[in-house]
Amino acid sequence: MANILEISEAIAEYIKTKENVKADFSVSEIEQHEITMKDGKFTLFRTLFDNNIDIKVIKDNKKGTTSTNNVTVEAAKAAVDAVIASAEVGSPDENFDIAPSLEPEKFSLGVLTPDIEKLMERTKELADDIAEKHKKIKLMEMFTKYVHGHVIFMNTNGTRDEKEYGFYEVAIDFAGNDGEKSTGIAESYVILDSLDDRLINAGSIEKDFTDAENSLNPLRISDKFEGDCIVTPGCAAQLIGGVLANAITDYVLINNTSTWIGKLGEQVASPLLTVRSNPWDERIINHEIHTCDGFRSENYDIIEKGVLKSYAASLYAANKCGLEHAPNSSFDLVVDAGDTAFEDMIKSIKKGLIIGSISAGAPGANGEMSGVAKNAFYIENGEIKGAVIETMISGNIFDMLKNIKAISKEQLCDGQMVMPYLQIGNVTISGN
Amino acid sequence: MLENFLLEQKTLFESGVQTVLRGQENRYRRIVIQNGNLVTNERSEESGICARVYKNGAYGFASTAEYSKDAAAKVIKAATDNSKYLDKFNSEKKQAYPSLVSAQITSPRMIIDYEQKVLVEMVKEIDAHIEKTYKDLLSRTVVYREDTMEKIIVTSDAADGHVSYPRCTIYVILNMTSKDGQPVELHQAFGGFGHKEDNFNDLQALYAKIDDLHKRLKDKAEGVYASAGVKTVILHPDVAGMIAHEAIGHTVEADLVQGGSVAGPNLGKQVASELVSIVDYANTAFGERAPLPVYLDDEGVEAKDAVLIKDGILTGYMHDRESAELYGATPCGNARGYNFSDEPLIRMRNTAVLPGKDKLEDMIASVDDGYYLLNTNNGQADLTGEFMFGITGGYEIKNGKLGRAILDTTVSGVAFDMLKTVEMVSDSVVWNTSGTCGKKQPMAVSMGGPAIKCKISIGGR
Repeated sequence: MANILEISEAIAEYIKTKENVKADFSVSEIEQHEITMKDGKFTLFRTLFDNNIDIKVIKDNKKGTTSTNNVTVEAAKAAVDAVIASAEVGSPDENFDIAPSLEPEKFSLGVLTPDIEKLMERTKELADDIAEKHKKIKLMEMFTKYVHGHVIFMNTNGTRDEKEYGFYEVAIDFAGNDGEKSTGIAESYVILDSLDDRLINAGSIEKDFTDAENSLNPLRISDKFEGDCIVTPGCAAQLIGGVLANAITDYVLINNTSTWIGKLGEQVASPLLTVRSNPWDERIINHEIHTCDGFRSENYDIIEKGVLKSYAASLYAANKCGLEHAPNSSFDLVVDAGDTAFEDMIKSIKKGLIIGSISAGAPGANGEMSGVAKNAFYIENGEIKGAVIETMISGNIFDMLKNIKAISKEQLCDGQMVMPYLQIGNVTISGN
Repeated sequence: MLENFLLEQKTLFESGVQTVLRGQENRYRRIVIQNGNLVTNERSEESGICARVYKNGAYGFASTAEYSKDAAAKVIKAATDNSKYLDKFNSEKKQAYPSLVSAQITSPRMIIDYEQKVLVEMVKEIDAHIEKTYKDLLSRTVVYREDTMEKIIVTSDAADGHVSYPRCTIYVILNMTSKDGQPVELHQAFGGFGHKEDNFNDLQALYAKIDDLHKRLKDKAEGVYASAGVKTVILHPDVAGMIAHEAIGHTVEADLVQGGSVAGPNLGKQVASELVSIVDYANTAFGERAPLPVYLDDEGVEAKDAVLIKDGILTGYMHDRESAELYGATPCGNARGYNFSDEPLIRMRNTAVLPGKDKLEDMIASVDDGYYLLNTNNGQADLTGEFMFGITGGYEIKNGKLGRAILDTTVSGVAFDMLKTVEMVSDSVVWNTSGTCGKKQPMAVSMGGPAIKCKISIGGR
């Protein structure tokens, strides 16, 4: 493996020989060990070694970026020359910039030494647990992985950040299957910093299996009505992510297509909703330590009690649009828990759905969305009547945030986000 | 171009196992001009070597970012060690795959690298044209994307080769304010196999297509919501191609068939109208080079066409060597990995609905009350065949004539049910060459088809 410290210093020294160049760059090495099981049997064991150099330069207000995984001093110098040449043919824009110097710091996050034997053991144990406790689950593919990384980040203002991290990852593709009928594909995913517990207890894995088993005999809804939908934490992340992408990110801010432009401090969602971007939350594993521009990452609130508090602008978009740059660029979403138990949400609904995910075209800037409710269950008079198939929902995702009627006490923590269930009113539900 | 020294590493392959050594470079170029601002100006490369070793029913795999003889020796040893390690956990041993014909296969085209300046200047020129020509836009974005791959494949018991997949695309994304004061958007991808000179030598031809895009956006700005329900529709070839890929293609990937897809119990059965045939082409389609020609896959299987549906009957699946052995089929070269560190998965290549005999204008004229659905921005399908596509552009059809444009909506259905409703199929095929399929790894794919008249469930207000 390359010595990333030496390479980093060599790049920094080489950039100093160039005139009128601002730059930041990172040099990383990543090692991964991945186990694959298909249908309960081990089928693949992978060991991967990778490196990367990412360089951004700004020369005469023109920007260029490059990356290569050829991590040698010669290749790094060639990459610097190439990216400067790219920048020189760009367009000048005084809004391009890099962050000021940070105090040098070294961060160690998560599990730095893997226990692959334990990971094998836990993986086999999970397959056995599924076979024993969830006999109607067809385990299509299961990936368990250990990832270790070491990254040096520097810029021409003097920043020198070092991060070493390690974590375990579990990704499962499965379906309910009783030998005759199959449900659609379901997925469960979690990042862990410990193998102390059985994997079936991590994230929402066991609940996801139970939901799939309960989906083998779906109902068909034949009518069209407006009702309440409870979106699961995974679906809530999808929904909120769709809103934020269309409302507060660089692309829509620069294009001036966000309908939330000029709405800082205004009510854009239900007062029940608080959405934070919190990389330093202890439940977020392998979090961001500096922004994409090189500022030290800090937690911040995007929406507080329904009021828009911040855009997620990069330094460039902030300069371009006259905004503050966001305190982090992670989108490690933490949504505050509410005061309603999940079971009470169900009891409160006369006619509606629980939705595990929405299969939909990416909503446009106006927020209009229609899609198929997946991993979904029909609720009538406060009781779950069964899974549904071929059921569409439609509405406006911005309106959906305003129409949140309750937020659950329960939250899902999967290592990347902390998310409750959301109960949303006035959603159009149509069967086939 | 990758230096080809991997063939001589065959001497390091262990006997009694089946080994594939792969050297690969992925090259990316990305330029984004947003409202005249050059916000992305990027060149990047990733290269390395991987080895995969099959032993008694399971694989060991290793990769490294180095590209050298030493690195090749290390990954062969590490992958072999991993196969032995995993073998300890497998109680059900399987036999080796039957050996395949050995051959040396080389792509007719290799990768050409253009200076960034040439590419940036082209994107600037296109953006300037749009700015000058269309004064009614809320915003405009022009994206140049090049994602090329080059692979050297060396096997213990199949074909060897040196293949490449050059591809470049320009995306134009236009926004306008609707009659209700809301932003509406349309985008289109242009380009395909090869390089700048293959696809964008004549910018006037591109401008004509952008002009059409702008006209459709203007129509959309005056558009109405589609009326929800099951409707008679004419699917533009882009949408029909998406159906071939998402709604049918994925369900007949043999690994998903193993997972319980709806295709499993339907092999040999009528699953579509007799007007429908679907083929996953390897490298030549309709007498011409396919948009993403694949000559050799990452298991050393020489690529051939995979016939999926013929005259409405489900005739076959797409395989890798493992699933071909399981189902007693012949692999057709569908196993591909995206990056040097990725294991090959069963992937589509050029998946298309075959053309019929109808004329598009006759198809539209035959619809009393329905929709002509032109553009899709994404699609998803499930094991059950239940699918969904986002529709970003289309028109009402009233009494056989195109009417008002429609706003964004979604269509959905169950693939085999929907394909049984196909009544007419147009006589010409259009390819969408810019597809990137997601299935653990991304993968370049192309899809195509004729226009199709069928019934489909459409979302709406």
